[in-house]
Amino acid sequence: MNSKSETDEASRGNEASSSNSNIAPNFSEGQPTSSLCTSADSNNTQDIMKRAAAKQLIERYFYQLLDGCGNPNCDNQYCASSGEARNLTPNEAAAEAIKLFYKEARLCDSLPNKVPRTEASTCESSASTTCSVTESNEKGDNKDKITDSPMSSSASLHESTSKLGEPETSHNVSLHEESRTVSCHNNGAPLTEERIYQLCDECLQTKMPQPLVRALGEAFTQPAILARCFQSKVVPNSSNEASKTDKESKAMCSSSDPDKDVDSVAGPGLDVASCRRAFQYLAKVPSEYYSSALVTALTTLAESLEIDLRITKKMSMEDAVNCFVIAFEVPDLGCSDYLEIALPALCHAAEHLPVKGQARLARTWALHCRESLRHILETLQQLITLRVISTNYTSHFQVQDDESVTMATKLMKILYYANMLAGVMEPNTLREEPIVIASQLDPLGDVLDHIYQFSSLKNSKHSQPDDPLAVELDLNVLDARKPYLPFEEFYNEPLSDTIEMEVDFANFKTEINSGKKFTFLKYPFILTAASKSLGLYYENRIRMLSERRVSMLHAVVGAAPPMPFLRLKVRRSHIIDDALVELEMVAMERVLDLKKQLVVEFEGEQGVDEGGVSKEFFQLIVEEIFNPDYGMFTQQQDSHTVWFNPTSFETDAQFTLIGIVLGLAIYNNVILAVDFPMVVYRKLMGKKGSFEDLADWNPILYRGLKDMLEYTGDDLEEVYYQTFRICYNDVFGNNIFHDLKKDGDSIFVTQDNKKEFVDLYADFLLNKSVETQFKAFRRGFVMVTDESPLSALFRPEEVETLVCGSKNFDFNELEKSTEYDGGYTAESKTIKDFWSIVHSLSLDDKRKLLEFTTGSDRVPVGGLSYLKLVIARNGPDCDRLPTAHTCFNVLLLPEYDSKEKLQDRLMKAISYSKGFGML
Amino acid sequence: MAATRRLQKELNDIRQSGLKSFRDIQVDESNILTWQGLIVPDNPPYNKGAFRIEINFPAEYPFKPPKISFKTKIYHPNIDEKGQVCLPIISAENWKPATKTDQVIQALVALVNDPEPEHPLRAELAEEFLKDRKKFTKNAEEFTKKHSEKRPTD
Repeated sequence: MNSKSETDEASRGNEASSSNSNIAPNFSEGQPTSSLCTSADSNNTQDIMKRAAAKQLIERYFYQLLDGCGNPNCDNQYCASSGEARNLTPNEAAAEAIKLFYKEARLCDSLPNKVPRTEASTCESSASTTCSVTESNEKGDNKDKITDSPMSSSASLHESTSKLGEPETSHNVSLHEESRTVSCHNNGAPLTEERIYQLCDECLQTKMPQPLVRALGEAFTQPAILARCFQSKVVPNSSNEASKTDKESKAMCSSSDPDKDVDSVAGPGLDVASCRRAFQYLAKVPSEYYSSALVTALTTLAESLEIDLRITKKMSMEDAVNCFVIAFEVPDLGCSDYLEIALPALCHAAEHLPVKGQARLARTWALHCRESLRHILETLQQLITLRVISTNYTSHFQVQDDESVTMATKLMKILYYANMLAGVMEPNTLREEPIVIASQLDPLGDVLDHIYQFSSLKNSKHSQPDDPLAVELDLNVLDARKPYLPFEEFYNEPLSDTIEMEVDFANFKTEINSGKKFTFLKYPFILTAASKSLGLYYENRIRMLSERRVSMLHAVVGAAPPMPFLRLKVRRSHIIDDALVELEMVAMERVLDLKKQLVVEFEGEQGVDEGGVSKEFFQLIVEEIFNPDYGMFTQQQDSHTVWFNPTSFETDAQFTLIGIVLGLAIYNNVILAVDFPMVVYRKLMGKKGSFEDLADWNPILYRGLKDMLEYTGDDLEEVYYQTFRICYNDVFGNNIFHDLKKDGDSIFVTQDNKKEFVDLYADFLLNKSVETQFKAFRRGFVMVTDESPLSALFRPEEVETLVCGSKNFDFNELEKSTEYDGGYTAESKTIKDFWSIVHSLSLDDKRKLLEFTTGSDRVPVGGLSYLKLVIARNGPDCDRLPTAHTCFNVLLLPEYDSKEKLQDRLMKAISYSKGFGML
Repeated sequence: MAATRRLQKELNDIRQSGLKSFRDIQVDESNILTWQGLIVPDNPPYNKGAFRIEINFPAEYPFKPPKISFKTKIYHPNIDEKGQVCLPIISAENWKPATKTDQVIQALVALVNDPEPEHPLRAELAEEFLKDRKKFTKNAEEFTKKHSEKRPTD
């Protein structure tokens, strides 16, 4: 009764008041504060108390004026009972009451039953009164009135809250529900390390697996419970025992909910090490006792996690992440049933983690689960490999449609980032400035873009979105100096071999626009460099074709048809000059032409460029440009690499052209014999050189500096006697001095500033001293590659293999992959002789043979088996030398009579093998 | 001329200390990175002469080791015909930037005095040294008389 009238009054007050909307939130905010009585800030509380007291006083004056104190002998002039202040309307009484309050007029001693009555009476007679009071009063007071009435009686507080504060209500209900679920299965209290030990021991002694299985099953089927297993000891609710009562666990649940924020700041309450120890202990128990139960439990867990993450979203993100962390700590995850049933389900569930959850999982893994990273990775690889090998993919069911594979790949991405986080990261401040090439668009091309959708490919590349998880983690592959596990372990070769790259590439293109189809190119870490380079090859080919079509359309429309190819005509004797002049013209006038297919013509030679001639062109040009005598690059003696000549006399344009050549080589799928240190590729991909890059740039210097960094004596200043002035040589061997800081010569390197010295030194050598040269170089490179997905697909190490091939000369691999034509088979005598000769050749001669047949002495990405060498029979025995079509990697071999003759002819051919001609 | 302070200091220190086995240090005013000096060994068969050496400091000194070469011909298993010498203390693998040049020179003098035939640059001399010490000593003495410089007198 009491409570009902209370609510009525409040709600009516709400309706009547103009500030209705203001008040409702006021309520819901105010209530929990007072109910918990903990976190409300003291000022606010005091304020509320004061107001409540005032309110109560005014009310007492009011009722005193209207009803009197009930004492027949009352002599108070402001009391109805004294008979002096009768006949007031409620409105007048209210006004009077306020006046009296300010006057601090005399109050009768109220009768004990009077105070409650003020509340109760509102129900009938005073209800309307209150309303009119509200109306007659100012807004501020009005608000007070309503806010305070529930305050006056704490008993009615909860009810009013639950009716008024919508959000609170649902919160409460969910709390109740949660505690109810917990209480239903309460004998499955969260597992602890100790509990597992106890259960395992019991199981081993009694040979009765049931208690253990039940405990595992209960914990692992329900995310809510699993998330609280293996809590770290610092968190108070970790100390729960199996004997915990209903009430206690209920309290634990509800108390942990408002604590969410605190939790996420303090890191997960999950003690991974304890969890790992528990699982190790569990392994002592024969697995047949529990494994099928655990598989079922994990699968159920995955399903309920998925439902929760997708639909109900009741669990906190931390809990969900904890579940995944624990589930992936299960050591048997790589064994048969786990692998086939539980793991795919878990991957499936993990896919529904929001990006923030994925980031949290990655961080947790990186921070607490380093030791498990390899195991998780291997397990995922196993799952993928197993699926890929055992499934027959058709054009209707491709790898991209196989959820087991794609989900595992998605999960592997989280692992990939965790792996980087767990390793050595560099600050992301060391970035090269981005280079923007303002492509000179020709106006007609613009128009064509609109009517001809194929060329809109170009535009889509600009908007290639970054991976949201990488953004969330603020992570870039370039910053990973040394990942915890080498990146190569993420390659899955069976998968890379199975993927139909053209399909994946098509998905990749549509992915950017619609984001529907799965494409492995979005997960480049799992693909080997070879399969990715195939993807890049399609990209480039398509671009070239589209350029060709655009120029055809130009012709149709009647505009001056631009060349469909990038045609270079050079003299062999002046290859650099001719090439640079021609490319410079293109770079200045028609940048877009660089994206066309390259066609090279040597003056006075008949070779038609289907790839072979341009291969030799690159080879020759690189040979000359990187010749130290040319002065643009210097040889680094210690590392056998080339580096930009900081004191070069060449203009920027020259370096830009070298950049273009490098870009063209990648774009046209040609391998170059350049020996840049890795830092060049890192810089090309946008990361500045830093101290660690000196390791392969100049290993001796790196070691010397490292030695100083590791020197711990206090006398570093006297021992090294090094200042911030350093010395370097120009190409002529002259000493040039450079101050790393202002007045560097008078600043000595000490223990305190040695790190700064080393960083400045490296920055000078790798960035500052070659800044103009490198900038020009990179600009040229970007001119060709700016729209290609190169940087999204490849890490710097992989770009290096793209440019100069891998360094592995395995001719057995070549023999296996070689095809035969024109009557030869692998069993032909000449072929057998050929291989026995080849295998006995020196490395140098093998190189020459490669150059002879393919036009390049470098090994293609992925090894020699990717060369696709064809040996074709070129007539019966005769005196002709072997010949080759370098563009198709075909070796034409007459069927010589004897092995000796074959050897003689072959050696002659590869030793005098420059120049193209028709034989 | 502002050169590396460390080298200037080392040079001064060596000159002041007055090493007996390393004298007549000449440094080009314009290039402190190249030193020349006379090695004066005490042990036979080299104690009849003095040997001019050149020390080349790299621009990155002391973070990279100096290189030493003999300008005077010497009959020694660890020093080849071109005057190159293999001294572990200044090899790229062992180099410590804290190592001072006088330590390097002392190591060099020690090597000249006591050849290490286990790590030869001239295998035939090492063999001779091990198998026929008398012959080796005789050859070395003759070679020294013929090619080496005069020992400074004091």
